[in-house]
Amino acid sequence: MEVKINTQDSVTTAQLIGRLDTPASQEISGDFDNLTQFAAGTVILDCSQLQYISSSGLRLFLSLRKAAASKGGKVIVKAINNEIRSVFMMTGFLNLFEIQD
Amino acid sequence: MKQKSLSTRLSIWIVLFAGLIFIAALGVFFNESRKAVRLEAIQHATQSLDNTVQRVTNILTQVKVATDNTDWLIKRHLDAPDSMFVYSRRILENNPILNGCSVAFEPFFFKDRGLYFSAYSLNTNGLIQTIQEGNDYYQYFSMDWYQLPKLLDHPCWTEPFSDFNPQGISSPDMIISYCKPLKDENDVFFGTISVDLSLEWLSKTISAVKPYPNSYSIMIGQGGTFFVHPDTTKLFYQSIFTPTLIKADTAITGLGHAMQAGQEGMRQLTVDGEDCYVFYKPLDDTGWSVGIVCPAMDIFGGYYRLINAIIGIVIIGLLLMLMIFSGIISNHLEPLVELSYQAETIASGRFDEEITEYRHNDEIGKLNESFRYMQQSIVRQIEELKQVNEQKGRIQGELKIARDIQMAMLPKIFPPYPDRDDIDVFGQLTPAKEVGGDLFDFFIRDEKLFFCIGDVSGKGVPASLYMVVTKALFRTISAHESSPEKIISRINDAMSEDNDSNMFVTLFVGVLDLPTGRMHYCNAGHDAPILIGNTGAGLLPVDSNLPVGVMANWKFTLQETLIDPDTTIFLYTDGLPEAENINHDQFEMNRTIDLAHNLQQNRVFSPTAIIERMTSAVHEFVGEADQSDDLTMLAIQYTKHHEEIKYQRTLTLTNDLKRVPRLNTFIDEVCEANGFDMSSTMQINLAIEEAVVNVMNYAYPAGTVGNVTIEVKSNGSEVSFIIIDSGTPFDPTAKPEVDITLSAEDRSIGGLGIHLIRQIMDHINYERVNGRNVLTLIKKISK
Repeated sequence: MEVKINTQDSVTTAQLIGRLDTPASQEISGDFDNLTQFAAGTVILDCSQLQYISSSGLRLFLSLRKAAASKGGKVIVKAINNEIRSVFMMTGFLNLFEIQD
Repeated sequence: MKQKSLSTRLSIWIVLFAGLIFIAALGVFFNESRKAVRLEAIQHATQSLDNTVQRVTNILTQVKVATDNTDWLIKRHLDAPDSMFVYSRRILENNPILNGCSVAFEPFFFKDRGLYFSAYSLNTNGLIQTIQEGNDYYQYFSMDWYQLPKLLDHPCWTEPFSDFNPQGISSPDMIISYCKPLKDENDVFFGTISVDLSLEWLSKTISAVKPYPNSYSIMIGQGGTFFVHPDTTKLFYQSIFTPTLIKADTAITGLGHAMQAGQEGMRQLTVDGEDCYVFYKPLDDTGWSVGIVCPAMDIFGGYYRLINAIIGIVIIGLLLMLMIFSGIISNHLEPLVELSYQAETIASGRFDEEITEYRHNDEIGKLNESFRYMQQSIVRQIEELKQVNEQKGRIQGELKIARDIQMAMLPKIFPPYPDRDDIDVFGQLTPAKEVGGDLFDFFIRDEKLFFCIGDVSGKGVPASLYMVVTKALFRTISAHESSPEKIISRINDAMSEDNDSNMFVTLFVGVLDLPTGRMHYCNAGHDAPILIGNTGAGLLPVDSNLPVGVMANWKFTLQETLIDPDTTIFLYTDGLPEAENINHDQFEMNRTIDLAHNLQQNRVFSPTAIIERMTSAVHEFVGEADQSDDLTMLAIQYTKHHEEIKYQRTLTLTNDLKRVPRLNTFIDEVCEANGFDMSSTMQINLAIEEAVVNVMNYAYPAGTVGNVTIEVKSNGSEVSFIIIDSGTPFDPTAKPEVDITLSAEDRSIGGLGIHLIRQIMDHINYERVNGRNVLTLIKKISK
């Protein structure tokens, strides 16, 4: 699992690559801690290369979303595949995040 | 027979009574009157008889006197025979009652007169003829009237005889003669002076005086011959005994003898077919007897007329009395009849019918007043009754709604799980009243059948309220609590709190694990269910514990058993064994058990059939009696048959998150082998990972190593993923559901895993078995 973070102005893009299963979530939790620093602005989670997400991954997403909400920023989830979209649907995350193709 | 009217009956009674009094009074009166009349008649007749006797005596005396007066003249003038004609004539002249007189002498007494000399005078209706009567054809000295005194040597009376002198004159009538011997100074008989009386004249003279219109006098001689009788044809020719020659009559014979014997008296007898009184008395020294015959009719005629008149008056009077009383009473009872009609009208439902007011303050007036008061009361009470009925109707309506609501709370779609082949359920609740305190419920969550049956103490509305609460608590608590004893404990704690009315509920809660047939159950004072299965029928062993609501914090015991396939769990409330027939005999448990055995022997396991048979058995037993208690039955048949396992794999991992990729690989392989597509595979992976990670994170204390085993079984139509660990008991299915509609700020971080599992898998089931957590996740293979 790999995370690439790229910040331009107030927009931070994090590219998630691989399977975000439970061990991977532990692995990249530091990266998400970093991302909360940019939560006052716009954080784009680029999921175009994210194959899988478990509930621990969803928890990372939700923590970031809560931080953004408290700081007045926003989180955009971009390019999720159909499987992840269905997980988002099952968990109500589609309503919590701004989803972009 | 139609009952006579009161007035007629009363009148008849009065008249009967009056009639009795009249009869008694008149009876006495008539009797006394009759005595008096009889006495008076006897006196009257006796007096008449005396008079008659006196008159006869007078006549006879007159005859004697006339004779005696002439006697001495004759003796004095024996020297002048022709003077005898004068004396003979003079007697008749001086005594007009006399018919004839003979002064007869012994043959040749007067030498110059020859053989015959008898101076005879005859009085024919006042014309007196005098002749010398003796001749060859009338030799007087051989006749009775001449011979009797001569022989007797004293004056005497002859029997009646008919005198006939062919060459002289004689009386045409029957006569009797007083004959006296003529004697000279030497007491030598020389002739007879005979004085005649016409028997007819005597008879008429005596009969002329009669005490009663139809009475008559008789006189008989010594031989019984009639001297006096109104029927002159009987004179001389008939005697008093003549009728007895034709027909023996002791009364007449007796009378005749009495009269002949010279007795005096009175006899009652029948004369010529008529009831008569005969008074009789002897006539001096003549040997004759005089009698007066008085028909009873004459004596009592007036008396009978009086009786008839009085009886007639009494009868007419009584009839009039009957009519008048009947009329008067009927008239007085008229208001009663009217009242009766009005009461009938009121009784027929026209309560506003006016009752005519009766103005007199007598018994009828009081009755009238009572009726009017009654009518007012009835109208008022009907009004009240109407209100009560309206109220009752409203309450009934509300109870009906309450019943509908209560019934709607119970499971009512049967069979409830037509798509499942492992379970069949049928339940039925019949409240004794509109609403009841029995309850049953069941539902399937996470491949477990939760069911309960309960009976609230008491009946009716109060029980129904508790029933509703109990059922609601059961549903609420068992939504995320799978252990029966915990479900019951929590219901108990909730119900015990503020239980001022001391109501309680007997409750049985069971949780049947459908994949395994393992049943956990807890009993709170309820009747033990009956198990009916392939191997037999019998009661499920239960701890009784306490009913719910009695004591908070009671430790309810959990029990467990394995239900064999095809076995039916039959649950019921005490309405079944305690169903009463009309003699208050109870159906009782032994009948229930017997029937269960019977069903088992006939291999009747279907819940519907079992309950139908139980119901009809109870109905047959109860018969006409009212249902005494709520009756509830619930039958659950476990029909799971383990199918052939076509695919099976097992993976055991340590509780290390780094093992998750191995899990993912394993799941991928399983999914591929069972034909799941990419998308499903990813979702299954996610669900299994969530479950396994959950075990890895929480089942074992931090820092300790434990295993988690994933068994995969497939029967070709669905795949079971069984995740087993031996860590601390943990039931993920008991977790509350996360609310996915909340905003980001309100969403909690946790709880997503179990939510995803539920979303992805078709069935989820947790069991704690032999110290191990067994979580079964089932995914159907879509074709």
